[in-house]
Amino acid sequence: MNQTAFLPAPGVRPSYSPSMQLARRIMRNLPALLGAAVIFWMIVVAILAPVIARYPYDQTDLNAVEQAPSAQHWFGTDALGRDMFSRVVWGARSAVFVIVMVTVVDLALGLPLGAMAGYFGGWIDTLVMRVADILFAFPGLLFVFFIAATIKPGILAWAKSVGLGDLARSGYLDYAVVIIALGVVGWAGLARLVRAQVLTIKEREYVISAHAIGVPTWKVIFRHVLPNSIAPIVVALSMGMGDIALSEGYLSFLGIGLQPPAPSWGNILADNAGRYWRTFPQMIWLVLIPGLVLAAVVFAFNFLGDGLNEALNPEIST
Amino acid sequence: MATLLDVKGLKTEFHTQDGVVHAVNGVSFSVDEGETLGLVGESGCGKSVSVLSVMRLIPQPPGKIAAGQVLFQGRDLLKVDDEEIRSVRGNKIAMVFQDPMTSLNPVLTIGTQIGEALELHLGMTKEQARKRSVELLKMVGIPEAENRLDDYPHQFSGGMRQRVMIAMALSCSPQLLIADEPTTALDVTIQAQIVDIVKRLKSELGMAIIWITHDLGVIAGIADRINVMYAGFVIETAPVKEIFANPLHPYTLGLLASIPRLDASRKSKLTPIDGLPPDLIEMPKGCPFYDRCTYRTERCANENPALELAAVRHSVACWNWQDVQKMRGAVLSKVV
Repeated sequence: MNQTAFLPAPGVRPSYSPSMQLARRIMRNLPALLGAAVIFWMIVVAILAPVIARYPYDQTDLNAVEQAPSAQHWFGTDALGRDMFSRVVWGARSAVFVIVMVTVVDLALGLPLGAMAGYFGGWIDTLVMRVADILFAFPGLLFVFFIAATIKPGILAWAKSVGLGDLARSGYLDYAVVIIALGVVGWAGLARLVRAQVLTIKEREYVISAHAIGVPTWKVIFRHVLPNSIAPIVVALSMGMGDIALSEGYLSFLGIGLQPPAPSWGNILADNAGRYWRTFPQMIWLVLIPGLVLAAVVFAFNFLGDGLNEALNPEIST
Repeated sequence: MATLLDVKGLKTEFHTQDGVVHAVNGVSFSVDEGETLGLVGESGCGKSVSVLSVMRLIPQPPGKIAAGQVLFQGRDLLKVDDEEIRSVRGNKIAMVFQDPMTSLNPVLTIGTQIGEALELHLGMTKEQARKRSVELLKMVGIPEAENRLDDYPHQFSGGMRQRVMIAMALSCSPQLLIADEPTTALDVTIQAQIVDIVKRLKSELGMAIIWITHDLGVIAGIADRINVMYAGFVIETAPVKEIFANPLHPYTLGLLASIPRLDASRKSKLTPIDGLPPDLIEMPKGCPFYDRCTYRTERCANENPALELAAVRHSVACWNWQDVQKMRGAVLSKVV
């Protein structure tokens, strides 16, 4: 008699963690994947800027001004003979640094303040939300311009008083100005979002259940409430990073952000647009390239944000 | 046997925009070591709020424990500081909630969640907690426990999740397990399994249980004693056999009469209790059951009866319980 040929015993079904599921959903979403690729590329360029750039970003060469793109100068040179490719590459480092630092400031202020306001309510809630309301009452960019344009003398004086005069002259303080101006305004939106999330999550049974097994309050907030509120926060942060890149561009374009020769896509644009707009379309690439790069980065963050939104909330997929 | 939990005159209220909701109005009960107490009553009668008050899990505000004592092993839990109550929660008193679908944190694995109490109260390392979690999952009858430890709640069915909740609750070998309608959200066959698991674990571990339910059928098989609650009062308390054989409060009688029976004739209808419980914001000054009672007298409208001893270990809060005892024959004949 023949033995029945059974199939091999079933294996243990793999269990997908939420982050693996998220990655899989992003991989299937083309715009989000493109966005992630652009952002990844920008970060690589920012980190490797000294290797990738072929000249120092501020090296002038008066024998080679206003050159068209060529093998020596891929994106051409500007009126002072600075290599445009190198400046754009170094600009990525400025952009990434500002984006990361402003996001850190937003998170450091918005996450704990919003979580406390939502979880404890009472006077903490009133205080945090009224301050946020005040920040919201101003048109966003106007307030950023106001801060950026007014805090610099204060920061300069402070830097000199603590013996950092060299640093003050070197231009690094401009980064602080931009980060503070964007951070001071940016946390309020995040705090509101976190508060709204915490308000709904803290009533969930698993939060009461965590209290019922004796978990301390701060641990309940950080282990049970916040991780369950994270989806819209991640989406808002991703979209927000695009906004930060754009705002840094605005500030530097208007001359109250990063100052030349510090490389910023905003001040490169301002520099060249101011010089060549009369003779349009002469030297058009000097304006077009930093503009397109900045636009690509802003779009990338927004595509990724949209993709994250769909991946984290599958029920609203369009 | 020694008294484990002694609740005296507990009053819990909620301050809302519409007024003060008197959810629990001076409830007293006690649980002996190893005893199973059933808390029975309809929705909103204060069952859950009284046990949440015992654990100090009432959200404050709007909730407020206005009066009373909760003596657990002689210590008043309403007076100890936050750190001390946390060392009691999950460690000496543990709780299983009604809806297993929402009582587990969706972003943490089952292993992490069971391990949380072990690491917190017993000071175990992650490794030790993992080992113990596997034992606990086996104890509540989850197959392939080692493999399931890294699964997330959504990968479990409702009945399995309730087993996980029970495993979590029992992780630190509590002296008192509070089960807040643990079978209500489950279908009947799973209900029976959960009841069996709890009964078996009780005989193995010997903890006391407070089992909240509105299903007298479930409680009959598991409780030693039953407290019937209505509108925030305990209106009758007796050993479980006594409650079924000799119900003295008209409300208890009504509850028993409204249980569907398999052996009833197909034409017979269920006997509901007419009307609704009183508005907990404007409590009547007399008996809270007055509006719905078929045994009411003038005295009931003006004076709220306190619990009085009617038989051995059997107390009832009704002015007319002796009349109920004489007249209930027709109702009772349908029940037993």
